[in-house]
Amino acid sequence: MLPDLLAASFDAFEIIRLLARSCDHRAPELFAAFMTTADAAVDGREAITAAPALPAGGSTARVSVPTADTGTQEITAALAALGALLHDRLTHAAARTAAPEDQDACVQAADAARRIHDLMARGDDDRDIR
Amino acid sequence: MTATFGDFLRPAGQHIAAAAAFRGDLDDDVRCVAVRELGRLVCALARYFDDLPPTGDPAPAGHRPPSPGTQAAADARIALRRAARSLRHATPIADDAHPVVRHLSAAADYLAAGRDLLQTHFTTAPSGAHTGSSHWAPIVTSGPVTAALLSELAEHARTLAPWAAQLTMTGPLGSGMPAPERLILHSAIGGLWITGAAVEAAQRDHPPPEDARRLLAAVPASVPPPRRPPGNQEPVTQLCDGITVTAERLRHAALGSARRSRATTSPSWRRGALASAITSHASEIILRTLAERASQLGIDPAVRVQLHEAADTMGVAWPAWRAVACEWDILRTGVHAGSVRTAADADFGDLALRAGRLAYDSPHWTPACASTSPIRAPADLAATPDGVSVMLAAVHHAADAISRVAAADQQAVRTAAGEDRLYLPTRLMPESYDIPYRYTLAPRSHTDTLLLTYATAVSASARVTQVLDDVADAINAPSTMLGASRNFERLQTDARRREGHGLARDEAPSTMPPTTPWHATQVECLLHSLQITDPAMLLRAVAIDQASYDLVAQAAAKACKRDSIAAPTQRRPQIAPNRPASIASKDFPCGVPERNQQVPYAGMRAATMPSTGTAANRSAMSRADGISRSA
Repeated sequence: MLPDLLAASFDAFEIIRLLARSCDHRAPELFAAFMTTADAAVDGREAITAAPALPAGGSTARVSVPTADTGTQEITAALAALGALLHDRLTHAAARTAAPEDQDACVQAADAARRIHDLMARGDDDRDIR
Repeated sequence: MTATFGDFLRPAGQHIAAAAAFRGDLDDDVRCVAVRELGRLVCALARYFDDLPPTGDPAPAGHRPPSPGTQAAADARIALRRAARSLRHATPIADDAHPVVRHLSAAADYLAAGRDLLQTHFTTAPSGAHTGSSHWAPIVTSGPVTAALLSELAEHARTLAPWAAQLTMTGPLGSGMPAPERLILHSAIGGLWITGAAVEAAQRDHPPPEDARRLLAAVPASVPPPRRPPGNQEPVTQLCDGITVTAERLRHAALGSARRSRATTSPSWRRGALASAITSHASEIILRTLAERASQLGIDPAVRVQLHEAADTMGVAWPAWRAVACEWDILRTGVHAGSVRTAADADFGDLALRAGRLAYDSPHWTPACASTSPIRAPADLAATPDGVSVMLAAVHHAADAISRVAAADQQAVRTAAGEDRLYLPTRLMPESYDIPYRYTLAPRSHTDTLLLTYATAVSASARVTQVLDDVADAINAPSTMLGASRNFERLQTDARRREGHGLARDEAPSTMPPTTPWHATQVECLLHSLQITDPAMLLRAVAIDQASYDLVAQAAAKACKRDSIAAPTQRRPQIAPNRPASIASKDFPCGVPERNQQVPYAGMRAATMPSTGTAANRSAMSRADGISRSA
């Protein structure tokens, strides 16, 4: 169902944003990566917000800040995987939806998700975007 | 690189000197052509004097007489105009023309091109009014720089006048020079003598300061250079050049009306904040590496201290920009309009990418995790002391551009907040707010925080440029002119204020970041003077200053309203508190400004049209917890 997918995607982008923001100070060399990821997550969330099929209701996105002993690589891998998953689902939804505005929203959000994956993926261990 | 006035003034002087150095006899034909080229040169000089502000009518009794400089300019203008009136259009010269002719022709061309360059800083309104359109415009029209220009022109006149006079005395008596050429020559000689003598006399006791001469030569063409997208494997020098070009483009963007117009939306401001944070972060790394390199190269320890200080101030700037970017995470100016990117967005992207590639070792660096790389080795960043200067200039240019755009953006965001054009997605509001629209007017607490973070970032960036101005001056970096022009502009503004003229109306809107922003002159300055560096205390100080500013602005607006008899504006209805849903359902922006701003959720299209928000529900919303946002 498109409305459910959009609502879940909205929350997923919001979770990515919050996670990226909470981690951007972890390592200086990853500052730009996390900052840009948060920015892409905002783009994705905003694209979803414009979709007419997005149901009303509040976001349920909640994030607990990862503890210091959570590896940065673990976090980036999770974000990359989430980005890939979002890209996959939203691209699929864009192909199946008939309403042009919903289609546009899905395409743009999928693009933001791809950027998130590209920013967070480190190499072969990450799921590739088809 | 952008051409500067000196690029034209210097060769013009060299060609004039070369022509005047010719001592032989000229054939009649050559002499006629030379005189015509001399006439063209005098015309070029006359146009400079025509550009000077008119002295106006004679001063009425009791008013101050014109200054010697103004009087000299007026005398020279009249003399050169008179000379120019008798001139005819010169015909194109042949490639194999006599060297004297070629030198005179080249000098005339250079002078004309130099004048065109100066004119790029001004626009002429349909009414004919001449207005400045760049941050160099007030410098170009300032007294000291005008005096420097007069001095240069007068020097040319003094070089040419005796040579032109000698031209009348050489050759056979009653030579074949036609009457028109004789008239040109005599007019030109008269104009040149008067110009040279008048300016020399006026400046004998008060020669233009050396700084003004240097600034005059450094005046760049006010034309944005074409975008230079980052290449794949740019060496350090190319990265520095690219940063300088991009910074110049951003300075133009800061001055342009587009950045201040309603057409500029939150995504642009968000991207600006993002790129400013990344660029400043990378710049801190570069400055620390440079300080280390300066130590290895045995550069003056005082410079090393300055580099460390610059790195420290950069270390304050990037968190401030990060905070601005965080605020833009949830605020926006309208509905999502796709991924349209402005030219300034692209420039900001280029700036951040090149700064990252300078800071880190990999020539393919991008923000992506996959392209992380170690910090660049000091010797690789700057092989020689000259390399340190070049590198510092790149950082300086980037910081200057960020600072100028920041000042423009702060002003635009303040306007957007004042006009209630900032919204947030209702989905991020607590569920109890069953708002049937996608966006709601941002609560005051959010907009206040946004403005506060801007104030802090602008202040931090201004401090960075101030420190970098000093370091650039200390090591004579290629970017020295940035600081010199900033200081000069400030001195001129202060001087005008002291004279009671206020800011000239024809000045371009200044995007020059103040040393400390105008609203942060009280408590924050006091803390700085007490050497307080505690961020929490400084933030409180900024908040206090901001609150003072807001109070004064509000009071001024109230006073203005009280005095006006304009038609009453639509007031927002007061809604009783304690009914969050009904309150929130009406808390929408009034007027639906652009692009179908409020799109209701599916199935709610028949909802009643929004009325307007109220102070009451704003405060209710600001009290509400659960608005998802970063720390």
